[in-house]
Amino acid sequence: MSPAPASILRDTPPDGGWGWAVVFGAFISIGFSYAFPKALTVFFKDIQLIFGASYSQIAWISSIMLAAMYAGGPISSILVNRYGSRPVVIAGGVMCGIGMVTASFGNTITHLYICVGVVGGFGLSFNLQPSVTIIGKYFQVKRPLANGLAMAGSPVFLCTLAPINQFLFNQFGWRGSFFILGALLLNCCVAGSLMRPICPKPTGGQLTQTNGTPKRPTTDRSEAQVNGHNTQLEKGCLENFNKFLDLSLFKHRGFLIYIVGNAVMFFGFFAPVVFLAPYALSHGFDEYSSAFLLSIMGFVDMFARPLTGLMANTKWIRPRIQYFFSFAIIYNGLCHLLCPLASGYGGLAAYSVFFGIAFGMVCALLFETLMDLVGPQRFSSAVGLATIIECCPVLLGPPIGGALVDTFGDYKYLYLMCGAVMVFAGLFLFVMNIYNYRMLERERRQEEGQGDESEAEETKLSHA
Amino acid sequence: MKVLWGLSALLLCLNRANAQTEPVPDYLQESFVGVVEQNNRRTLYVHIYLDIPSNDWIRLFQPHLLLTDPLIEAEPMEVYNQTSAVLSCKLTDPPSTVKGHYWMRNGKVIESSKHNLPTLYTEHTLAKIDSHSGGLYECVFLSEPEVKTTIEVKTAPLVSAYKRSEHGNEKDKGVLVCVSYGYPLPTDWKWYKLEGEDKTAITNGTDRYEIKSTPNRTTLTIDNLDIAMDIGDYICDGTSEFGSTSNKVHLRVRSRLAALWPFLGIVAEVIILVSIIFIYEKTRKPDEINDDDDSGSAPLKSNANTDHKNKDVRQRNSN
Repeated sequence: MSPAPASILRDTPPDGGWGWAVVFGAFISIGFSYAFPKALTVFFKDIQLIFGASYSQIAWISSIMLAAMYAGGPISSILVNRYGSRPVVIAGGVMCGIGMVTASFGNTITHLYICVGVVGGFGLSFNLQPSVTIIGKYFQVKRPLANGLAMAGSPVFLCTLAPINQFLFNQFGWRGSFFILGALLLNCCVAGSLMRPICPKPTGGQLTQTNGTPKRPTTDRSEAQVNGHNTQLEKGCLENFNKFLDLSLFKHRGFLIYIVGNAVMFFGFFAPVVFLAPYALSHGFDEYSSAFLLSIMGFVDMFARPLTGLMANTKWIRPRIQYFFSFAIIYNGLCHLLCPLASGYGGLAAYSVFFGIAFGMVCALLFETLMDLVGPQRFSSAVGLATIIECCPVLLGPPIGGALVDTFGDYKYLYLMCGAVMVFAGLFLFVMNIYNYRMLERERRQEEGQGDESEAEETKLSHA
Repeated sequence: MKVLWGLSALLLCLNRANAQTEPVPDYLQESFVGVVEQNNRRTLYVHIYLDIPSNDWIRLFQPHLLLTDPLIEAEPMEVYNQTSAVLSCKLTDPPSTVKGHYWMRNGKVIESSKHNLPTLYTEHTLAKIDSHSGGLYECVFLSEPEVKTTIEVKTAPLVSAYKRSEHGNEKDKGVLVCVSYGYPLPTDWKWYKLEGEDKTAITNGTDRYEIKSTPNRTTLTIDNLDIAMDIGDYICDGTSEFGSTSNKVHLRVRSRLAALWPFLGIVAEVIILVSIIFIYEKTRKPDEINDDDDSGSAPLKSNANTDHKNKDVRQRNSN
């Protein structure tokens, strides 16, 4: 992937400089988005006692928060397309903060559902989408590495938020903790302020980014002017909406492959994490050892994500990054299929390590592959649509897993199901991407053929 | 002959006792059914007076009733305040062949005590008797029907605080809990507040206190917590036939505004950081601000920008 030539250097992404500050901001935002709903579970036991509710009623808080976070995707995409990343992230941070502070004064479960679940969840979605989007605007060459580093925020924040929550709860009780967590969430505004808006990508870039390879400069300017004309002529209602949320993505082959494969994958993605500790408990290990397995997984995850980003950035893997993603998913599935064979604490610890690596790999590449398929220009709409479609399997996966455990009384079937689902999803993505790469190659050759013709025409005109 | 008549009459009596209507035959004059209980063993006595006419057709019935309870000897009958014991059961006079035997504690089967041998004697050893191993032990013989008896293993109950240190918020409710294990469980619970060396008894319903007790758990709820008065140690006391055992719980009351200071601190930190970042941006790179405005607009504007710059380059080159 050669960098673009000097004449449009100013509009290419900086790939460094302030970009790293943006990565840090995204690190904080993504960290809060993914880790916060999970870290809240520390409070559930006591809220359950105080409100006299059942465990499933309390668990709904986390579920509503996750659901709102994924469902808010399209809305935040529209806002990002209109206003850019920075205002949306700052607004998200303020929303989360207000949500948590009002929740601390609540007296009923419904109050918590609304304040923490709905308001907090939407606030987090306004943090997640823009953060991922802006990395695509700031990075091109080093984008997988930047994505990997930013996504590492999730395990780091989970590992720090869980003990912090425990400490806050011991010192201040749940109301005081929610109050202080509201203030902590305002740090998302700091992250947002780091996300300095940047010039949009060059219009030539819009055509180059479909498969990440740059086009020849001579054709760019002419096509760029044609594009400029087109954007002026776009007037219809649907076209105007498409500027905010690009629904034409549903005709994009790569995007469709991505969402189908990912929707299937997410059914089996989170359930093993949720059931790791209960699985260890069922083997007879005590609570602390079981919780320690999750810590092992989180710790390994922390390093796996940037390393995966680094690997994906190399010149051998970057052009075939979709295959790398499929490999990561299949590897994940194999880990789960082999888990029932693990015996003793050492076996489970080894499984946690491998699972941590696999989990980190998939998460680091999750948005990078989408960016690779649709290009940064349409990425913000793509990620919004993808998250709302993925909302369903993400929320249904763990309860279905739980039902499997309840009917069979054995965790073995849960792991076999998750493993099978992920292997299937990985193979699907692998096969479909072979097809997709071939089609893209064919299209590129067609366009190059046309480009040669128009070049020949230009040289003829200049000679004449 | 007389035995056969007796048996058939006995069946008729018992049928009558089971509320089945049958015509009373002429030969049955009087019958008497009685149950005597002795040493946990019941014996059914039946007296029948018959006036049997001769040369009548007799119907014979095969009785299948239990006339006495089988005799199980349990040794010892009750374990009271011992550090270890060996419980044993001996079954004499089994109702049918014995397929095996096992022990149960408080209604739950002890898996390691299951045997499938047709012996009539079983033993269960309790090496160390504490509050976790006390309870109602039953030895069960697998015959047709099952035969079992109960041995009570009594120990002093263990009283422990559910949480050694409890927290409450000012003006909110504070809940202190003590639980107990063992057999028999305390019948009476009392709460005291420890002030220095003295204990002051807390009565249910007075002041802001409420005590709810069940044999294995007692809860002291204090309403409208006050920082000055309610902080300190509380003692829960459980009384059973062994005497009383007690434990201590510490209560801490947090002030309402305790969380406010960290909150304000973090908000201040956020405001300071955001200001620093924005000020840095405005002072160091003012020329980039102009381009911030078109982050959402059509690419036409930046395109024009590029062309402008390119023209500049070309002009310089031509010179």
